Amino acid sequence: MKALFGSRPELARVRRDAFMHGMRIVAPLTLATGTWGIVTGVAMVKVGLTTTQAVGMSLLVFSGSAQLASLPLIAAAAPIWVVLLTAFVINLRFVIFSAGLQPFFRRLELKRRLLLAYFIIDFSFAMFLSRFSDTRDDERGTTEQIWFFLGMAAYSWVIWQATSIAGILLAARVPTEWGLEFASIIALIAMTIPMIVGTPALVGALTAGVVAVLAAGLPLKLGLLLAVIAGIAAAMTVEVLLDEHAAKDKRGAKN
Amino acid sequence: MSALEIWVLIIGLTLITQLMRSTFLLFGDRFRLPERVQHGLRYAPVCALIALITPELFVLQGALDISASNPKLIAGIVAALSTLILRSMIATIAIGMVVFTVFRIIS
Repeated sequence: MKALFGSRPELARVRRDAFMHGMRIVAPLTLATGTWGIVTGVAMVKVGLTTTQAVGMSLLVFSGSAQLASLPLIAAAAPIWVVLLTAFVINLRFVIFSAGLQPFFRRLELKRRLLLAYFIIDFSFAMFLSRFSDTRDDERGTTEQIWFFLGMAAYSWVIWQATSIAGILLAARVPTEWGLEFASIIALIAMTIPMIVGTPALVGALTAGVVAVLAAGLPLKLGLLLAVIAGIAAAMTVEVLLDEHAAKDKRGAKN
Repeated sequence: MSALEIWVLIIGLTLITQLMRSTFLLFGDRFRLPERVQHGLRYAPVCALIALITPELFVLQGALDISASNPKLIAGIVAALSTLILRSMIATIAIGMVVFTVFRIIS
């Protein structure tokens, strides 16, 4: 335990508690993350990657959406730059996530910032910001916050890699006609719906969903990017309208 | 693709993904986004996840399919309702897959 949390008892306790808290927060998602991991593992082998390549991809890239988006292109023997460009567009949301986390991680040394960056995934980012985005600027970047993130990261990483590697090893025994890929979509649904809390988030989600369908034909998964931008814009607009409405009500109540 | 090309691709994907996850973290203390923008970013994950899901449900073989004969759409709606009502991940995945399989066979 000392190796992980340090030798100063007081600080080690704070770190350990925050780390455990982070793990508890993502624990309910074990099954969804695991289903997605297995499906990704199976899919990598089904397009023809060897076991070593698939395990390497899982450990190095560690991004289900980027991996799954690249696989059909690999199967179709698309040029490498097309695959990379598609992953770039899929990953643009990570740029957004890194901006959201910067106020919390900015005081750490570069090496640690890069390590934390490797662990940024959709759900951890969402949980982290929903918990800490209302903090004041001088309350950001505390030991608790960073170890809370590490706890979420460690748990998600272990589940993802274990199930992904299980999928890689079992792939030969999984018949394609089971439609297992669809299980990952259902897992995503079960994971995402509880994250939609409040009217702005609901409107944002609906907008993103509709735009993603309408723009599904665009090349390089550009539809995803458009959908995220439209969704955020819609959510923020609703938020502003609701705030104005609330302010008006308040003034009305005073008169 | 040859084994070498696959590895080039995996390394490329690794670098792109790590670099993009690091974008703003590379700036460290030197650059800040306006508070307003930071605030809006909290909606990004939900929007991104929903945008990954809906095309899988509504688009079949490149065409919009809103009909009862689209097994993915039916199973997706059932899974969404199941999440709201049962709040159970296991139940949702099980029910969703059963509905998907049944509708796929009969349609």
